[in-house]
Amino acid sequence: MEPSRDRRLTEPAGRVLGVILIALAIAALFNSEALVRAGEGMQPGTTRDIVLSVGRPIDDVAGAIGLHLPRDGLDLAFGQEKKTASGTELETGSNAILRRNRRKDTQQSFVQPTPQRPLHVLVTGDSQADFIGQRLVDQSPPGLLEVETAARNGTGLTNPAFFNWEINAQQEVAARDPDAVVMAIGGNDGFNIQSRDGSLYAPGDPGWETEFARRVAVVSSVLSGNGKRPVYWVPPPTARDPDFNRIFASQNRAVKRATQAVPALRYVDVYSTLNGGHYSDSLKVDGRRVLARQPDGIHFTRDGAVPAARLILAAMAEDYPALRGR
Amino acid sequence: MSFPTIEFAAFFAVVFVVSWSLMPHPRAWRPFILAASYFFYGWVDWRWVLILMASTLVNTVAGQVIARSPSQVGRRRALTVAIVFDLALLGVFKYLGFFVSEMDQALDSIGLGSPLPLVQIVLPIGISFFTFQGISYVVDVYRRVTPPASLMDVAILQAFFPHIVAGPIVRANELLPQLRTPRDPRSVLAGPAIFLIVGGLLKKTVIADELARRIVDPVYNDPASHSAGELTLAFYGFAAQIYCDFSGYTDLAIGLALLLGYQLPENFNRPYLALSIRDFWRRWHMTLSRWLRDYLYIPLGGSRGGRLKTYRNLMITMLLGGLWHGASWTFVLWGGIHGTALSVERFTRERFPGFRLPAWVAWLVTFNVVCVAWVFFRAPNLATAFDILGGLGLSGPSPLVTLPLVLLVAAAIAIQAVPREWWLDAEAWLVARPVAVQGLAVGAIIVAADAAVGQQGVAPFIYYQF
Repeated sequence: MEPSRDRRLTEPAGRVLGVILIALAIAALFNSEALVRAGEGMQPGTTRDIVLSVGRPIDDVAGAIGLHLPRDGLDLAFGQEKKTASGTELETGSNAILRRNRRKDTQQSFVQPTPQRPLHVLVTGDSQADFIGQRLVDQSPPGLLEVETAARNGTGLTNPAFFNWEINAQQEVAARDPDAVVMAIGGNDGFNIQSRDGSLYAPGDPGWETEFARRVAVVSSVLSGNGKRPVYWVPPPTARDPDFNRIFASQNRAVKRATQAVPALRYVDVYSTLNGGHYSDSLKVDGRRVLARQPDGIHFTRDGAVPAARLILAAMAEDYPALRGR
Repeated sequence: MSFPTIEFAAFFAVVFVVSWSLMPHPRAWRPFILAASYFFYGWVDWRWVLILMASTLVNTVAGQVIARSPSQVGRRRALTVAIVFDLALLGVFKYLGFFVSEMDQALDSIGLGSPLPLVQIVLPIGISFFTFQGISYVVDVYRRVTPPASLMDVAILQAFFPHIVAGPIVRANELLPQLRTPRDPRSVLAGPAIFLIVGGLLKKTVIADELARRIVDPVYNDPASHSAGELTLAFYGFAAQIYCDFSGYTDLAIGLALLLGYQLPENFNRPYLALSIRDFWRRWHMTLSRWLRDYLYIPLGGSRGGRLKTYRNLMITMLLGGLWHGASWTFVLWGGIHGTALSVERFTRERFPGFRLPAWVAWLVTFNVVCVAWVFFRAPNLATAFDILGGLGLSGPSPLVTLPLVLLVAAAIAIQAVPREWWLDAEAWLVARPVAVQGLAVGAIIVAADAAVGQQGVAPFIYYQF
């Protein structure tokens, strides 16, 4: 719409500055939880420090005088569920979960899919889940899979103050009740991680890997409904950046370790399988070389997600033999 | 940096104060606004600024050479060099992957192996937009529509942060005269600016992102698992989504520029009220339409070479317009549908000059042709597009079809029918309120918009990828 030059529509820059400042103040006060959460979700650095050092005191004040209430009401109106909470097992649980031994001699059995009753699969995780979900649909035998994709972009397991996957997993399975879950996540987990005793571990520390494995075990237990359904966990593939690559290798080991504790958890190894475990922008898929990775050197492209989807289907076929054959 | 973020809010508050403080001193204001724009653009990756600077340098030098060259040959050479450079920049970053992939496949099929490196190249955000502005500038200098500008002016023209990422595509003679005249701080067009900013925010968060998340993405990701009713809602839903997403972005861009005292050209004018495809293109992404008309369709010959050549030129223009969005057959088909529709309309107009469809029929046909074309624009491949078009209907269990979603689609179309006078009256009313009331209203809308997107955050604007 072309703005009119009508004088009735103008005001001095000083008044406009007043409007901007009041609007930002209102937004910060009534949205203080979201402000802090946004800060928690930022990459470590100056911007994050500034946002949190401004946001936290505002949030304390706003919480104390009940300014969260209007936003809570709006969240309710828009059907938004809270994805953070304090005291969850993800943040405060013990390593005991990793010591549970799965009974390897017992083969779990699940109801097999048929065209009349296709397998309802929830594909979730971070942004990597999007193309994997799409490709799982067209790589599966026709009519046997119903895929629902719910990617939570920018999330991971290391920062539950920003997004708590234990809570989200509870909400997702309660709302969708899938037969099986594919979890593709890890690209946003290059941060330090804090265990329940307050120890802070950097990626690469053995403590980081143990704590990450524990969190995988917690979330996969919830997703599996305590063994009711299988969970196919897909940590990130090799990355172009060697630093990311080391973190992703550690995550893959952690997921593998968690499978020893959670009977319904399956590890899908795209890390060492695709291209022999070596990073490449391109891959050969069905005789055709395609760009397999997005410019960030981590995410799959739509074409590049095909081999990953096939690996997931191969893992699923162990539980659902009807899915074999492609 | 994206507009609906905390970082941008802080950035803009600072820029607003400093920009108006320096406004009486153009020698200080210009470097400041350029530095701010480069900071904004380089926030994600500072190397993109180098590419932008290179583009600015080449186009500025070419403009000067064109203006100073005594001979037509020299002028033409400088123009050619600049255009080749601009298109090469676009080609390398946007189309090299597709070209190498196709080439590789062709060579592989005749047993020549895979000799070409297939590497992923980061596409700098906004490269299509600043490249088109660069071409527009040198061609306008060549045509003597605009005088050559200084390096600083061309740099600001290309980099001005409200429009660098996704337009509107601004012509030199629209922005440069404004840059040369200090804006009046006593007379900021705050009414339209505030309405554009909060309106753009609501269009994006409440309509576009909601439709994407709840109906469009699930259906386009897996059409086979959805009923005819859900396919139909997604069919119209994407038309509503892309309008609210792109025009929402443009509203934010124009509104922010207005707060700084600058008017950017209009980019959308109630496109879904169009009564023909020609009318649609006069209302949709208007700055791209006129760019394609002035720098492609007319140089191709326009309508000067007879009927067949006119149809050919229309098709070429629309097909290239489609390819501008990306190297994919889906975009080619999108452009092809529009090119064909424009040609058919032209043929009908010339052959049956007295023929007129009733307005409601014309609207219905136009809107549905546009929606069919959008299916190809949105679908990841042709098969998905045909699956969706083949499955349209009203039957089947449709749990995703809910009254709020239907109302959102209706709202996206209905807001275009609100008379302009009503908006103007509302803007005037708001500006007449005390500052505190205005601030409260804007703040409340920001809170509501944030609640609408929830913890998943605002999705990237669709046109960021182009």
